[in-house]
Amino acid sequence: MEISDSVLDHLRHVAALPDLTGTRYELETEIGRGGMGVVYSARDRQLDRRVALKVLDFALAGEAQLIARLEHPAIVPIHETGTLPDGRAFYTMKLVAGARLDHYVAGSPSLAERLRVIRRVGEALAYAHTRGAIHRDLKPQNVMVGQFGEVYVMDWGVDAVAGTPEFRAPDARLDQRSDVFALGALLQSVLPESVPPALRAIAIKAMSSDRAARYPDASALLADIDRFEQGLAVEAWSEPLWHRLRRFGSRNAVMLWLLAAYAAVRLLLFFLRTF
Amino acid sequence: MDPDTAIGGPHAHFPSTQLSLLEATAAGLSSEALDRVIALYWKPVYHFIRLKFRTNNEDAKDLTQGFFAAALQRDFFARFDPAKASFRTYLRMAVERFAANEHAAAKRQKRGGDVEFEPVGEQVAATESPEQAFEREWQRQLFSLALNDLRAHCDRLGKQLQFSVFQAYDLADGERPSYAELATRHGVSEASVTNYLAWARRLLLGFVTERLRSTTSGPQELHREMRRVWR
Repeated sequence: MEISDSVLDHLRHVAALPDLTGTRYELETEIGRGGMGVVYSARDRQLDRRVALKVLDFALAGEAQLIARLEHPAIVPIHETGTLPDGRAFYTMKLVAGARLDHYVAGSPSLAERLRVIRRVGEALAYAHTRGAIHRDLKPQNVMVGQFGEVYVMDWGVDAVAGTPEFRAPDARLDQRSDVFALGALLQSVLPESVPPALRAIAIKAMSSDRAARYPDASALLADIDRFEQGLAVEAWSEPLWHRLRRFGSRNAVMLWLLAAYAAVRLLLFFLRTF
Repeated sequence: MDPDTAIGGPHAHFPSTQLSLLEATAAGLSSEALDRVIALYWKPVYHFIRLKFRTNNEDAKDLTQGFFAAALQRDFFARFDPAKASFRTYLRMAVERFAANEHAAAKRQKRGGDVEFEPVGEQVAATESPEQAFEREWQRQLFSLALNDLRAHCDRLGKQLQFSVFQAYDLADGERPSYAELATRHGVSEASVTNYLAWARRLLLGFVTERLRSTTSGPQELHREMRRVWR
């Protein structure tokens, strides 16, 4: 039977749709497509709720079970894992209503809000690392900001994933420090054009091609962001003297104003007594 | 419930009667196994040769025929090593070597290369490389064969109505009719249209899988090739 290009494309599309016969899920629509597989929205008939159903291009590795056990407010909970009749693995997870981080940033949120999102992502990474899981493919498309401001890190990596070039560390083997690299790249991607050099330096340090020069873990990176927000010197940047003075001035503005006022009063009194 | 909805996934219908290529080769490569390889690859090889070597129709046919004849004589299948490449890639590279040699020999014979050429634009859009054309034709042939299998299967089971609904929707070139239009046209309910389509698609995927199974080395390569079809 001869078929045209358009029919071939259509058949390839319908052939790729997951066969959910025998499961409690009913397919709705495709909502995303990435390197690892395709995400659909589906209805869980048993619990009468909508879920996100991800079909992977490969069988689940043991690590997926580990990821399924991660419980953190910023990690999308996995409800169930399974295998389709054609051998592909799938898992279902909470369907998050919100915006991908790259779309969210396009709405020009404040710098403090951007850093809040990065902090939540970093906390999720730090937690996962303590459980022996790594993400391997952290990028804006894998971070969702929900309608109530909640942040979710999605698509935790499994063995077959190699990462996205822009956010992938140049490491021979991906591990926790590779995730630190990706977190730095994520930070850089959300920073506005005009940004304090100390903050830019944090991203650059995290993205160092020399693994040893990066932050040892996600928590160390977050600690440097905290220092920046508190007006303290950051580990990533040896600031020039003038910058240090200016930072000191802005951190202690009230005290300096009081001192200046005190000095002015003393000076005034001195003149009054003298003349 | 419509009985068609209780059919189950491809597993239920396809107990993997097809041997993998390695198993078939180890068992002496029956003519049926060989026919399945040739049925899937004859057209992709022909298109690849036409584009790669810019040969005319007849030369491309002769080279394609010659390649498969030579492959049978030169333990081509036994030398396939799945650790190095997929069978599809192995075959394409072998075709390239074979056709290049034959092409060069033909040129020498004609003292200066009096070989007939055909403008490439006449054959396929210039935007497609020979390798892309090979892959595209491989996919097209894979689905064409699976559709033939599906139609034969429907005829055997007396499910011509189901196939007609599937054909009217999934094989429509251009705008697809709505489920309501299909239901009216075939005198069935919309729910039946949905069920018939789901049933036919499941079977089609099963036949695609079986066609791939008999032309790949085993489960790993099978899944890799299926991913190439899906993406």
